[in-house]
Amino acid sequence: MDQINLKETKAISYEKAEIKKGYTDQSLRINLDAADIIINPIEEQIKNKFIGGKGYDLWLMWNAVSGDTKWDDPENAICISSGPLGGTPGYPGGGKSIVTSISPLTGAPIDSNVGGYFGPYKKFAGFDVIQIDGKAKQDTVIFIDGIENTIQIFEAENLPTDSYELSDVLTHHFDQDKPVNVSVVTAGPGAEHTFFGCLNFSWWDAGRKMVRYKQAGRGGIGTVFADKKVKAIVARYGAISMKANNPADFDALKLVTKTHAKEINELDPKQNRMALVGTTHLVPIMNDHDCLPVHNFKYGSHPESKVIGEEVYEHIFDKGFDGCWRGCAVACAHGVKDFSPFTGPYRGKKVFVDGPEYETVAGCGSNLGIFDAQTILEINFYCDAYGLDTISVGTSLGFVMECFENNLITLDNTGGMDLSFGSRFNALEIIHQMARGEGFGAIVGKGIRQMKKIFAKDFGADAAFMQDIGMESKGLEFSEYITKESLAQQGGYGLALKGPQHDEAWLIFLDMVHNFMPTFEDKAEALHWFPMFRTWFGLCGLCKLPWNDIVPEDNKNTPEPAKVAKHLGWYADFFSAVTGRKSGPDDLIAMSEGVYNFQRVFNLKMGYGTREHDTVPYRAVGPVTVEEYESRQKRYDEQLKEKYNLDISSMSSRDKVAALRQKREEQYEQLKNAVYERRGWTQNGIPTVATVKRLGIDFPEVMEVLKKNGVE
Amino acid sequence: MGLNNFLIEVDEKQVQWSENMTIASLLETLDNVEFCSVVRLNGKLVSSPKFTETIIMDNSKIQLLPLVAGG
Repeated sequence: MDQINLKETKAISYEKAEIKKGYTDQSLRINLDAADIIINPIEEQIKNKFIGGKGYDLWLMWNAVSGDTKWDDPENAICISSGPLGGTPGYPGGGKSIVTSISPLTGAPIDSNVGGYFGPYKKFAGFDVIQIDGKAKQDTVIFIDGIENTIQIFEAENLPTDSYELSDVLTHHFDQDKPVNVSVVTAGPGAEHTFFGCLNFSWWDAGRKMVRYKQAGRGGIGTVFADKKVKAIVARYGAISMKANNPADFDALKLVTKTHAKEINELDPKQNRMALVGTTHLVPIMNDHDCLPVHNFKYGSHPESKVIGEEVYEHIFDKGFDGCWRGCAVACAHGVKDFSPFTGPYRGKKVFVDGPEYETVAGCGSNLGIFDAQTILEINFYCDAYGLDTISVGTSLGFVMECFENNLITLDNTGGMDLSFGSRFNALEIIHQMARGEGFGAIVGKGIRQMKKIFAKDFGADAAFMQDIGMESKGLEFSEYITKESLAQQGGYGLALKGPQHDEAWLIFLDMVHNFMPTFEDKAEALHWFPMFRTWFGLCGLCKLPWNDIVPEDNKNTPEPAKVAKHLGWYADFFSAVTGRKSGPDDLIAMSEGVYNFQRVFNLKMGYGTREHDTVPYRAVGPVTVEEYESRQKRYDEQLKEKYNLDISSMSSRDKVAALRQKREEQYEQLKNAVYERRGWTQNGIPTVATVKRLGIDFPEVMEVLKKNGVE
Repeated sequence: MGLNNFLIEVDEKQVQWSENMTIASLLETLDNVEFCSVVRLNGKLVSSPKFTETIIMDNSKIQLLPLVAGG
C-alpha cells in the first residue's frame, strides 16, 4: 500500500500534570470544528461527586449536549476516561477505559468498558478524561504523546480502511522502536455504514510481537467516531510502574495487588480456567441451564453447542499470555493465530483473530444456528476489523433470520439471500455488506429498532410479532442470555440505564437456579445493589471479572456469597491505597449511586428515562409462539397450574401462551414498581428530589430536568 | 478390600466413594453447597440440571465451581 500521509494541522506542547493519588485533575478537549486543543482543570467538587471513569465522561457529556442533541450533531461528544485506579500494573483487570457518547441506537448516553492500554496511557500523558467533539472536514488522526508532551491533530490520507491493519500501521508509525509505548483507538468501515459501530482499543503483545485489540462494543460509539471523521486517536507513553499513579499508600497498594493477583493465579486453574479458555466456559454452562440463545432467543439449548464451547476453543486458542492489561492475572483475552478466512478481503490470508468471547460465540453462533467454530472465528475477525459490535450483529441477524423463516421478509427483500438459521455464508455476506454500506446489509446495520419500522413499512411485515421477537430495549440489542425463567434478570436488562447489557446485573443463577430472591422486594434489592457495585468498576477504570468470576475458596461459607465480601474489602483497600480516601465497601456503593442516578436523569434530559422506556420484548419474558411454548410445555403447564392456580385442562396451547403472557407481563410491571421504590424513584421511574439531594447531585440543571418532568 | 480403596477427590480433599454415587447425592453430604450449580468432573463441566443423572466413578476428581456470575 502507499505510504500513509499525515499532515499536521494543529499542535501544542504542554506541561504534563503531575499525577497525585490516581488523578491528573485535568481533562483534554479536542474540538474538531476548530481544531482546538483545550486543557481544563477538574474541580475538586466534580472529583468527589463523579469519582472518575464513567462519572467524568457523563459530566463532560452532560455539559456538551442539550436535550435536543442527536448522535450525529457536532456537539455530541465522545469521552474516554480511565479512573483513579486505572493503570495499576499487576492489579487484575486494572487497565480499563470507559467510553461514552450519545448513541445512534438509543439517542441517550451509552457507555462501554474496554481493555487495551489507551486509558492508562492517556492518563499518564496528563489527562484523566478526553472529550472529542465537533466534526472534522477531512479524515483525522489525533496523537497524544505523553513522552514528548505534545498533542497533534493530523489530516490523514492513504490510511488502511480496516481496524486490523490501521492499528498495526499507526502503532509502528508513532513508535517504530518501542511499539509497546503506543495504544491506538480505531473504528472501521462498518462503523461508517451502520449504527452499531464499535471502537477497537489496541495494545502491543510483546510475546507475539504484534498489535492486539479489545472492543468498546456497545451502542455505536464507533459510528459516532466515524461520523466525526476521526480515523484514530493514538496515545503514547513510556515505562509504567506501580508508582505511576503516585498512590497515597504505596505499601498498601503493593499488598492488595499482590494478594489479589496471587489468589487468581492459584484459583483460576481450579475454577473457570479463564487464563486458558477466556469466557467460553459459559457456553456449555448456559446451554445446560437453558440460557444459551438459540435461534433468536427462542430456545435456550442445542445439542450442537458442544462444538462451539470451551472444549473446542481451548485447543484452538494460541498459547501465551493474553492479558489486555499489563500483568493481569485473569489474562482472558485469547485469540487464534494463522486463521485463514474463506470470504471477504482477507480470504486466504493468515490473520490473528482476537477472540471469541462468550458473547460472540452465543450471539454469532448458536443464536444464528451456526454451530461451527471456524465460521464464528471469521465473523469475529471481520466484525472487529470492520468496527462492528458482535453482540448487535448477532442479535440483529437472529432477528432477521426469524423474520425470514416466518416469511416476514423474503428473497425479494434480502437481495436473493436465504437467511434461514444456519446460513453461515450469507450471514458473512451480510457483514461484508454492512462494511460497504450496501444491499440488505445496510438495512440490518441500522439495528433492530429501525429494522422493525422498515420491515413493517416497506415490506408489510407484522409489526406486533416483530415487537415480540425483536430483542432490543431502548434501541440497544440484547446481550446473549436467555431470561425467560429469571424475572430478576428481565429487570437486569430492562431496567439497565443504557439498554439490555448484562454489565449492570447478572442475576440469572441467583434467581432462576438458586431461588435466592423469591419476593419482589428481594429482586429489587438485588437490582439496587448489583448495578451500584458494578457501576463502581467503571468509575475507577477496572474490569469486574476479578471480583466474582474467581472467588475465594471459603466464599461459600460467607453470609452473602454472591457479593464476594473478601473481594469487596480488597477493592475498598485498593481505592483507599491509591486515592487516600479511606473507604469501606459501603462507601463504594455510595460513590456509584450518585453517578448512577445522574445517568438516569441524563436519560430523562434526552427524552427517555421513564417507565415506558424500561420495557422489554415479550421474547425476553416468556414464550411468544405455540412452538416455543410446546418446547418447554411441562415447565409452563406446571407454572400455570401450580403457580397461578389455573385449570388448563381445556386450554389449547394458544390459550396457554396468552394466559402465561398475561401473568408474566403483570409480574414484570410489579418488579418495576418494587425496583423504582428501592432506588428512590417515582413510579414513573424518575429519581425523586429527595434522592438527588441525598446523593448530592441536586445541581440546578438536574433540578430543572426533574421539574420539566413533573418531579419537584 | 478396605473402604480407603474407594475414594474420590472433591476440591482436593478425599471423600469416600460409593457405588451409584451421583453428583446430586455427593452434594447432599457436603456443607455450604447450595450455590453450587456447576462442577468439573474429571475436567468436564457438568451443570446442575444433570447432577442427578451424572454418575461419579471411583477415583474421580471433582471441583465445585463458584457461583456462576455471568459475563
